[in-house]
Amino acid sequence: MRITFCTDLEKSVLVNNFEKRGWIHVNPEEEWNFYWAGMQTCRNLFGLESGYRMNDNQIINHFPNHHELTRKDLLVKNIKRYRKELERDGNPLAARAPNGKYLYLNFVPVTFVLPADYNMFVEEYRKNPQSTWIMKPCGKSQGAGIFLINKLSKLKRWSRESKTPFNPNLVKETYVISRYIDNPLLIGGKKFDLRLYVLVTSFRPLKAYLFKLGFCRFCTVKYDASMQELDNIFVHLTNVSVQRHGGDYNSMHGGKLSVDNLRLYLEGTRGKTVTDNLFKNITWLIVHSLKAVSYIISNDKHCFECYGYDIIIDNNLKPWLIEVNASPSLTSTTVNDRILKYKLIDNIISVVLPPNGIPE
Amino acid sequence: MKDCGMETVIKNKVFHWVRSHKNNPLQKEPVTYLRKAQLQWEKRIHKSLNSMAAEIKVNLAQLRHTADREELEDKWNELSIYDIELSQYRPVYAPKDFLEVLLCIRNPNYRTIDRVSPWEFVHFPLKVKTLGELRALYQEVARGEPLLGVDPNVRTHQSFPSLMVERTLLGEKVINRNHAPVTQEFLKKGAPRSLRAKLWAQVMGTEVTASDRQRFNELKKLVLKYDLVVDKLIIKDIQLTASNDHQYFVFEDLLYQVLLCFMRDTEVLSVFNGSASNPVHGILKGRNPTLENTVVYPPSGVIPFHGFTMFATPFCYLYDDPVELYFIFRAFYMRYWYRLHEVSSNQQGILSLCVLFERLLHRYESELWQHFKKNGIQPIRVAFKWIMRAFSGHLPPEQVLFLWDMILAYDSLEVLPLLAVTVLSLRRDNLLAVDNFQNTEVTLFLFSFRS
Repeated sequence: MRITFCTDLEKSVLVNNFEKRGWIHVNPEEEWNFYWAGMQTCRNLFGLESGYRMNDNQIINHFPNHHELTRKDLLVKNIKRYRKELERDGNPLAARAPNGKYLYLNFVPVTFVLPADYNMFVEEYRKNPQSTWIMKPCGKSQGAGIFLINKLSKLKRWSRESKTPFNPNLVKETYVISRYIDNPLLIGGKKFDLRLYVLVTSFRPLKAYLFKLGFCRFCTVKYDASMQELDNIFVHLTNVSVQRHGGDYNSMHGGKLSVDNLRLYLEGTRGKTVTDNLFKNITWLIVHSLKAVSYIISNDKHCFECYGYDIIIDNNLKPWLIEVNASPSLTSTTVNDRILKYKLIDNIISVVLPPNGIPE
Repeated sequence: MKDCGMETVIKNKVFHWVRSHKNNPLQKEPVTYLRKAQLQWEKRIHKSLNSMAAEIKVNLAQLRHTADREELEDKWNELSIYDIELSQYRPVYAPKDFLEVLLCIRNPNYRTIDRVSPWEFVHFPLKVKTLGELRALYQEVARGEPLLGVDPNVRTHQSFPSLMVERTLLGEKVINRNHAPVTQEFLKKGAPRSLRAKLWAQVMGTEVTASDRQRFNELKKLVLKYDLVVDKLIIKDIQLTASNDHQYFVFEDLLYQVLLCFMRDTEVLSVFNGSASNPVHGILKGRNPTLENTVVYPPSGVIPFHGFTMFATPFCYLYDDPVELYFIFRAFYMRYWYRLHEVSSNQQGILSLCVLFERLLHRYESELWQHFKKNGIQPIRVAFKWIMRAFSGHLPPEQVLFLWDMILAYDSLEVLPLLAVTVLSLRRDNLLAVDNFQNTEVTLFLFSFRS
């Protein structure tokens, strides 16, 4: 049997991988076995009105309600609930330190949804009025619409300005506001975040694979925590799509350092024990984030999904989960990037297909 | 003495003294035609530097203008944003220019029989080690003893789950002993990542003291005070190499500091006592050309070439403090790297290393040798930049660090041509399938992605 595939994304790292396996390119209306779909297609396909039912030999690259994990506000809501459940069950994982913080489950920065949690945010804000907060629109990605806030008045001004003239009580979009990690780990004086890839083939039981190759994305501008730099978004945001518009973007390396080299650097300069600990904590962070949604995601056996995890490491080598992306970019910015993404897709296909290569 | 640790200090001092004098006979190059070749090469560098300075209309050295000085001081920790016009500056020379010079050297007492193959180093009348002698030098490797860089997970001892664990526990003991010869011996099988910074500093005697910090600060002040053309050259070199390299770009700001200070460091001049080369001298502007008015240029006597930065980049994975980084880099340069860009008959010199490379290839990879020869490919052209940069930038950082472990452990650069031959040997089948120089390079480049 020849396998047929279709894809909404004409990316070479995808198509090359499919064709290398001798698969046949078909249109979505035809019989397909393997669909690399965009999110809109998935929504339509899984929507009740479409009536499409997948047969045994079909698989697709998204879970129907992945937004429970990938939308910033829902992720936070689910993690908060997960922690409470564990705590209620007396699970030792939910132990708290004397200061009230979770010992093992404190891996997302304090976050509130605006406008809904505005009062809770203000209460938290008053505890630490000098700290900085970061505002992100829930529905957007790749750094769009993000800004930093260090005064309540600035938030109030934003809230006034963003009200539409027609419905003055409604803020156009939902935002999350999170405590900004103001003590990030710097390498060579530069700030970065970590992009890791996690493949999930089943949520119940949880089957997840961490891709060995990941990378750090560096800011092109030196990190400076002082306030006058607050408006220079290039200092703070490490998304390549943001950084590419910065003046100093380098197309040879794209601001990316491999996770292997990060590890080499950390072991060399900080030691093995703390480095091992960091990577162990990163793995736990991923596991907990997935467990937090495992009973909410509809565990369709035709689905798999590759998530892009964005993690920031602080200067105590503690990892913080920033967000999870359901459609991590497959655009290659450099030669190494292309190799990495090609291998990523190759590994994903090898894992999701049974040994005989036919979806079942 | 023993109790207060003085004994260790004295023992290590003696060791470092003996080590630094062993390979450096306080004698200039004994072979006349090589001495002449080096002299001519220096003249060319000198001339090229002068003509560039004249073309751009800048002084080789001058007091830094106040505004520039303030900017430099202000941006000292982020010199990547110290934005100066460098488009007219170009590297004084690149490895391939230096190779051309080496290839043109002729022994006046020696004539090749067929006279038509002037390109082979294999017949160059320099004594280099045979494979047997290399085996004796690298006996632990020759015996096939397990190396950390080959397989950290192999189990070699029943009381340890892996070589990695074994080496880490042993390495910690070695560090606590702090006895440099023992540390050097330990490096033969490769250093665990987390211990390497300390181990290397022990072997090279570069544990940073308060006076070292002061020294570095003085060098920094000199950078701020004087504006040298070589500053621009080194900044340009970092921009052309490390800043574009996906393995090293994050460290560019550290490298600017370290290399700018290095250009000012007169202690580096001591390498010229035992080397074939001489620093460039200049006469102070508007003074009489007398000895008192003659100065060494730059103060360290080192004129950077294209890729010089790569001598320093791998250390960035070991030290995040610029001072520690500085002193280990300087020690490596003064012990090893200076030999890679001068003409000399020393066994550690680049010429001997090239001869060793070709002799090994000729003797043990004769099929490949014949294939190269038939197609007019000069094997040294493939391997020269690897050797001249000690493989930095040509292997992933961790592998470079393992290689440099070996350089320190055996106190010899001969591992570089040995590895170069091994790489070609490993890729023999692919290399035999291509018949020109360009495709040979492409073949080797493609394989560098799969480690």
